Amino acid sequence: MGREVLGACRNAGRAMLLLSEAIVCMSFVFTRRSRRETIHQMFVGGIKSLSVITVVASFTGMILALQTGIEMRRFGQEVYIGAAVMVSMLREMGPFMTGLILAASVGSAIAAQMGTMVVSEEIAALELMSINPVRYLVMPRLVAMMIMTPLLSFYSCIMGVVGGGVVGMTQLNVPWAAYIDNAIRFAENKDLFVGMLKAFLFGIIIVITACHQGFATTQGAVGVGNATRRTVILSFLSILVVGYMITRLFYV
Amino acid sequence: MIQLENVTKILGTRHVLDGVNLKVLKGETLAIVGPSGTGKSVTLKHMVRLMTPDEGRVVVDGRVVSEASGKELESIRDKFGVLFQGGALLEWLNVAENVALPLREKTRLSDEEIMAKVMEKLEMVGLEKDSEKFPAEISGGMRKRVGLARAIVTKPDIILYDEPTSGLDPVSSRMIDRLIDDLRKELGVTSVVVTHDLHSALSIATRIAMLTQGKIIELATPADFVKSQHEEVQQFLEAQFITVRGEWEKRGL
Repeated sequence: MGREVLGACRNAGRAMLLLSEAIVCMSFVFTRRSRRETIHQMFVGGIKSLSVITVVASFTGMILALQTGIEMRRFGQEVYIGAAVMVSMLREMGPFMTGLILAASVGSAIAAQMGTMVVSEEIAALELMSINPVRYLVMPRLVAMMIMTPLLSFYSCIMGVVGGGVVGMTQLNVPWAAYIDNAIRFAENKDLFVGMLKAFLFGIIIVITACHQGFATTQGAVGVGNATRRTVILSFLSILVVGYMITRLFYV
Repeated sequence: MIQLENVTKILGTRHVLDGVNLKVLKGETLAIVGPSGTGKSVTLKHMVRLMTPDEGRVVVDGRVVSEASGKELESIRDKFGVLFQGGALLEWLNVAENVALPLREKTRLSDEEIMAKVMEKLEMVGLEKDSEKFPAEISGGMRKRVGLARAIVTKPDIILYDEPTSGLDPVSSRMIDRLIDDLRKELGVTSVVVTHDLHSALSIATRIAMLTQGKIIELATPADFVKSQHEEVQQFLEAQFITVRGEWEKRGL
């Protein structure tokens, strides 16, 4: 038990060191190669996740609208589903769902790629060519996800609100205009800011967890599988805990 | 040029290297042979500080690699080119871009100058027509040749080869052997070749070291190596159908 805890602390420390090294390397982000790689990673990690985020966010908004709407209808307050969906999506569900989707898709892909590169000695080859793997591989992915996660989170909020509006109109007889008016009236800048902050931190968590686990890969294909699995689990747990902490910090 | 002084490496509970002393001389091709899992690749990794010894030290041109860090380690590593077992090519770069990588990252040469050097090296390894292909589209032997082109494109003083012929057909193996030999003869590079292919070692090496259970048990020229009275060396020779009265003796070795 004690050994497990020590191991977890050691891993967390190493991940923080990796993050600090990647932040130091950010001064190179505007070099031609890094810029190109960062844009490529923004496309791979962000744009390619749009379709799944659209579906998940829309249904999340629809479920939120339906669940709250059914309860509120008992009191004749179903018109307030706009506020419920908007606030939930902005503060919690938008960044949370985006974080989970990106951890499962982008995080696992990064961990598998890094792990395979370790196993096939590509990382060692980079080190021997005096090419810093953190600058070459981690930094562009980190910058890409720091930008794309908040953007995708914002996009998922919009899709959730639209999904909720559709359910409001078709299932709960809440007019579109009333729904949107209600949603916008109750949304605060603070909600948007907190949601974006969460998404930004989730982006960092996903990339650093994935790269750290990938770089720590041993034992060939089995090791790559383990690194991928650990990345998804650790990212999910970290997203949950950090999400709670941020909410606690700003709303209690 | 490269000196391993009493190097010991423990992985888990096993002494992978157990007080290894080895000197690689300038301009020679030293082959390190031995059965699988005896620490050959680990020895190679210590030379470029991909591994750090638990005891002892590694010295390259008077500088202690095992204690170097930052810029000093970088400058020591710049002397080396390494051919990894599987080539270690980046999968998302094509053959030419893989070979160009160290030049792009470490020099200020123009794209034209880089491509000229890349094509020259690809021609040397017979892959000039495959420069646009990606690593996934070429065979294992070709990957190793691309890895070799990348290792020599920066004109290193020392080249380390990790199992350069393993998994290759005899024709490709001999081609790689010829390339290694040509590099020593034409450019005077110092080479360390880790292999369990004794035929290869006997053809290209100027000296052969046999590593067993983390210790160097024999270090000799090919001619003396095949005559070694050491039991484990003889077993290793016989396992690869090489005997003192065999082919190598007929050749006068």
